[in-house]
Order: sequence, then C-alpha cells, then structure tokens
Amino acid sequence: MSDRHTPLTRRRLMQLAGTVGAGWAVASCAGPGSSGGGADEARDEPIPTGPVEGEVSFAHWRAEDQAAFDQLIAAFRQETGVTVRQDISPSNDYQSTALQRVRGGGVGDVLTAFRGAQFNDMVSAGVYSDLTDQDVVGQYDSQLIEVGRQDGTQWGLPYQVVFNMPVANLDLLERAGATGAPQDWQGFLALCEDLQALGVVPIAWPAAAPGDAGQLLNAMVMNNAPADDMFVQVESGDLKVTDEWFLTTLRQYEQLRPFFQPRATGTAVEPAQQLFASGQAAMLATGSYHIAPVRALGAQFPMDLVAPITVPADQAKYEGIYNATFILGVNTASDVRPAGLAWVEFLSRPENASAYANATAQHVTVSGATYENQDLERTSPWLTRDTLLAPRFQFDDLDVRAAVENAAVAVVGGTSPEQAAEEAQRVVDQAQ
Amino acid sequence: MSRLRARGRRRASRIHPALYLFPLPALVLYVVFFAVPTLQAVQYSVTDWDGFSPDFANVGIANFRDALTDDDLFRNAATNNLKFMLVVVVLQTAFALLLALLLARNSRGGILLRALFFFPTILSSVSVAFIWKFVYDPNFGLGNRFLGAVGLDGLQSSYLGDDAAAIYWVALSQVWFHVGQMMVLFIAGLQAVPRELYEASAIDGAGRWAQFRHITWPMIAPATTIVVAYTTIQSFRAFDLILGLGGNPPRPSLDILSTRIYATFVNSEYGYAAAESLLFMLLIAAITVAQRQLLGLTRGSV
Repeated sequence: MSDRHTPLTRRRLMQLAGTVGAGWAVASCAGPGSSGGGADEARDEPIPTGPVEGEVSFAHWRAEDQAAFDQLIAAFRQETGVTVRQDISPSNDYQSTALQRVRGGGVGDVLTAFRGAQFNDMVSAGVYSDLTDQDVVGQYDSQLIEVGRQDGTQWGLPYQVVFNMPVANLDLLERAGATGAPQDWQGFLALCEDLQALGVVPIAWPAAAPGDAGQLLNAMVMNNAPADDMFVQVESGDLKVTDEWFLTTLRQYEQLRPFFQPRATGTAVEPAQQLFASGQAAMLATGSYHIAPVRALGAQFPMDLVAPITVPADQAKYEGIYNATFILGVNTASDVRPAGLAWVEFLSRPENASAYANATAQHVTVSGATYENQDLERTSPWLTRDTLLAPRFQFDDLDVRAAVENAAVAVVGGTSPEQAAEEAQRVVDQAQ
Repeated sequence: MSRLRARGRRRASRIHPALYLFPLPALVLYVVFFAVPTLQAVQYSVTDWDGFSPDFANVGIANFRDALTDDDLFRNAATNNLKFMLVVVVLQTAFALLLALLLARNSRGGILLRALFFFPTILSSVSVAFIWKFVYDPNFGLGNRFLGAVGLDGLQSSYLGDDAAAIYWVALSQVWFHVGQMMVLFIAGLQAVPRELYEASAIDGAGRWAQFRHITWPMIAPATTIVVAYTTIQSFRAFDLILGLGGNPPRPSLDILSTRIYATFVNSEYGYAAAESLLFMLLIAAITVAQRQLLGLTRGSV
C-alpha cells in the first residue's frame, strides 16, 4: 500500500531526472547526417529572383583583403542598399571548420572555398547553389573557372589566380649574374650557388609552416611526374611516392638543402618573409600571394616568379604553377540568396575585380580586369605561359597530402629520400 | 527496520522540495555537454560517416581495429603524447614543488615571485604559443641568439624543426605555462602542514631532508595527487598550444592525440575521429587509474 502523499524525495527526483535525461539523451542521438541544416533540401532549387535586400554574410579567409572588400562593400551598399558583413577566419581555421559553419546558413550567405578537398566536400554537402545558367558566369575567363565546375554544373567561381612558386628578388638575381630564369635543373643549382657566393640565402623556405611549406612541391613535381594528375593517381594507388619520379624529386630537395636558410625545418612563415623582405634571402619559396605581405614589410626591390625546372630544358613541359582559388558561391541554405547573387555579380564586374586585384596584388579570373599594380604588371605574363594547375590541391585526403609534403621536409631535415618516401607511402596505403 | 525507514522518510520530508531543483542546471549542462556527446561518439564510432552526408554505413569495430593496428599517424600521435605527458608531469611537478618549497613563506619577496611565476597561467594558450615561437625560431629566435652570444653555437638547434626533439621543446613551453598554477596548489598544501610537526622533529634532531621525507611529502600527498592528475589530463589537452606552435595540422613530430583527432575530423572522417576520441578517453582513464595505483597517492595511503 503506497502513501497517500508521496513526498518528493531526493532519490525520486534523481530517478525522475535520470529517466528524463536518459530518454532525452537517447532521443538526441539521431542518426549521423540527420541534422543537415536545410542545405540538402534547397540544393536543387535555383536561386530565386526575389528582391535584392537583407544583410549578406560573406565568409572567407583573406584577412589581408578586408580593407579592399570594405571599399567594394560600401559601393555595393550605395547601389543596392544591401549590407555585406565579412566573416573572416584564418585560412587554416577556414579550411578546418568552414563547411560545418556555413551549412546551416547562419553565416556565409556568400562563401568561398579552397580548390580541392574543401570545394569538393562543400559541393557534396549541397552548400553551393547552381550558377550554371546565371549571366555572371559569362564575366569570367572560362578556362580559369573550370575548377569551380563539376559534371557540367558551375557551382562556384574561382576569383583569384595565384602563382604557387618561388618569388624572387630581381636585384639580387641580377647581382648574381642571372640574365633570366634558369631553364634546367643544373642552371637552377648554379644560380643558387651564385646567390650563396653573394653572401645571401638563396631560398627562404618556411618548412615549419604547414600549407606554405608544401607550395614548393608543386613546381618540384610539375616536370618530374609521369602525369599531370600525379597526386590523384597517388591517392588511387596507380602511382606511388616510392616510384622513381618522386624519389628523384626528393633527391633534388636533398640537393637544395645547403641553399635553404640554416635549420630551415624550424622556420615559420613570418621569419621566412622577413628574410626575403630584408634582402637577406633571394627567393621566397611560397607563392605570389606573399608579394603584398612582403611589400608591407618594406621590400622595395622588383619581384618576379621563378620556378625550379627540375629536368633538362628540352624535357620541360611546364614553366611554372598557377592556382585558381577563392571559389565564390551562393549558399543554398541562405535566406538572402538574391542579395548574395547580387554581391557575387558586383564582384564580377571588371572594374570591381580590377579594384580588388590592384588593392591586394592578386590576379583575378574576371575577363577584362586591368592591372595597374606594379607587381601585378610584372607577373602578368605568367597568365599566358605554360603553367600547371597546382597539383598539391589534387589531394582529397588531407592526411595523405600532409604525409607526401612532409616527406620533402623530412629530407631537408636529414632523412634519406628512400626512407622519407617509404614512410609517406605507408600513410598513403593505410588511407586507401 | 520500519522505524528506521520512517525516520529517514521524516528527515527527507523536512527538506523543502524546491531545494531538489538546485542540482538541475548542473545536471542539464552535464547531460547536454557530456552525456549526449559521449553517447553520440559511441554511435558515430561504428560508422564511416564523413560529417556532412546524409548517407553512412555501419562498419562495426573496423574504426577501432584500424586505429589500433593500421594507422601510423594515430600510433605516432599516441607515442608523442605519452612522451609529452611524461616530461610535463615529471618536470612540472618537480619544478612546482621546488618553487613552492622556496616561496611558501608569506614574505613580500615571496609573494612577488609567486605572482611572477603564476603570471603565464593567466595568458591564453595562443599568446604563449606566440611567445615561444619567437624563442624557438632558428634564425631570429631568442634561444639561438642567446646561445650564439655566449659562444655556444654548437648547441644551437632548429627546435620545433628537429623531429627527434620537437615534442620535448613543446613540453618545456607547457611546463613554463602551467608550473605557476601547480606551485599555488603545492603552497596551499604546504601551508596546511602544522608547524608543530617541524618543531617536534627538529627537537628529535631531524635534518631538512628527513623533515621533507617524513613530514612534508606525506602531508602534501593530497596536493600532489591533484597536481599529478591535473597535469596528466592537461598534457593530453595541449591542443591549442600545439596548433599555435606547430600550425594546423602540425607535423608528425608535433602531433598529439587531440590534434590527430581534430585532423581526422577536418579530413571528413567523422566516424573514425569518434572512434579515436573514445580510445583517447580510455587511455586517459587507464593512465589516471594506473597513476593512482602506482604512486599510492590516494587518501588512504597518507
């Protein structure tokens, strides 16, 4: 027989809380993928042709471009009345977390992606709206925006053209007696020796900075590899990094060891930039995206790009590397898609793209953009040279990419090319 | 029996029922931020979910098997983490105890020095990482410049670029970061030791070492337990310090379990990352239990 007035004891309360909590916890454990945030439903719907209004969140990783975008945002607001708010994350964080952050549409009405794994994942997740039939696509150089296309659908518009190969101090190259960029591997080594004889570091390489350290690999493999999609084939198992072409590349890194700054494997990106900007190093082995930061550090000398040609001149297929990145798109989960599209269209006008390019010292993919910035003018010929689309972004698996790139760093740190290649190949094999 | 039960019921009914609502906020937070995520991690760990697709497959224990037997990166991170933990626990505990013994008195100088040693604790991990990045830079850093200035060029190093030693350099930064915090715990323990014990032992002719061994060490065992357990757990959570010093993702020589799990998650392997997280939890639990058993630092042993 139970009591008529059951008191609320601690035990009863705990039992009640436990039961409710456990039930709720189990209910919360819905199956993976069940919290899509609405992106999947909107994926196939075209961008509506509603009024251009609201506030647009623009998610990207280029903090150094914030001022340039602010000016364009002010002009856009004057024209349309729409406010654009920049949501900027550091590039590494953007690479890591952007997909999760933009899926719900809370941020990133207009978003960007790195070419490669991140763009592919974002397209798979249904984040990018289909732009194929939008007029804005016609504003771009169609070849340069191919990387924003998948199976005939234009999901995104790569906005920047970057040259991911060493930047050179032309004054120092001239003092070393160079009359032009070396045409073969022996010529490149000879140039490094001449630069060293001048008492400067031939190549500043931020080997301790993930991402930046890997850029040199683009140019080192572009002529050595048996196929242009070499890293796709490495991931699929058709090529191995223990094959002769990659071992040759690692042995060439070994040859470059004396030409990097001392203890290069511990150098972060800022000190490497400082070495280059102060004239203590002749080349900075990262890419054209570092020209503006180096200028900001006070560099006055003329700069151009120099890629190491790792084969005899008559076997060289490519002169350098480029990448089409910063892939603009409109978020399917956004509530203000017409305004988002209007912002993309605004950025895609030649006059605005030119303003962006000249303010940030980066080439753009928009047709008819004009370059007044001195560094852009000097590097513009690279837009029409034989360049390979940066192969390091072919990797879909970031662990595999890191393992392959780290093999080069390990070799410069003293590991034998064979051992470094074997260790990298083990990671590749385990990822398959 | 029935009288006892009736008395218990009476005592329970004397407490106002509303008081039982007080634990609710903590309980809710615990369930939301610990219980549910842990249950979900168990659920995800047996899938190949990529973190965003609606589709996934159940893979059973394959994720656990791969992590334990066929993943050089996970094994490397676990090895690094154990090395890191060992160095941090030993050095941090030893230095914290030494500083506490030297600064336990409430003199003006002692208080000033305590504040100085405690200062790094209030900095954010990112600030600490930046400070040590400047120390460890091989070209412009304070470390090599100091060694060069005193004629010890042969000892100059690439620090974080030296694969064999990189994790120990990070461990030193971690010790610098948290030693002040542990010192404060030891000082609290030391100040609770009754003076009479020292006076009595002095009369008995005990030296300083004997006093430390037979009075101080046993009496501060509870503080030592807290310091060792906290330092151990802290050394597994050095996530932001590693990312700040080594970049994202860190090189294999700097990778620890928390950064490896994060890298796996970023690599769109959510299910596998969940399996790694559970193994991580088990490892911490095993180490904490083993520590308590081996060191005998439980209350009962004091």
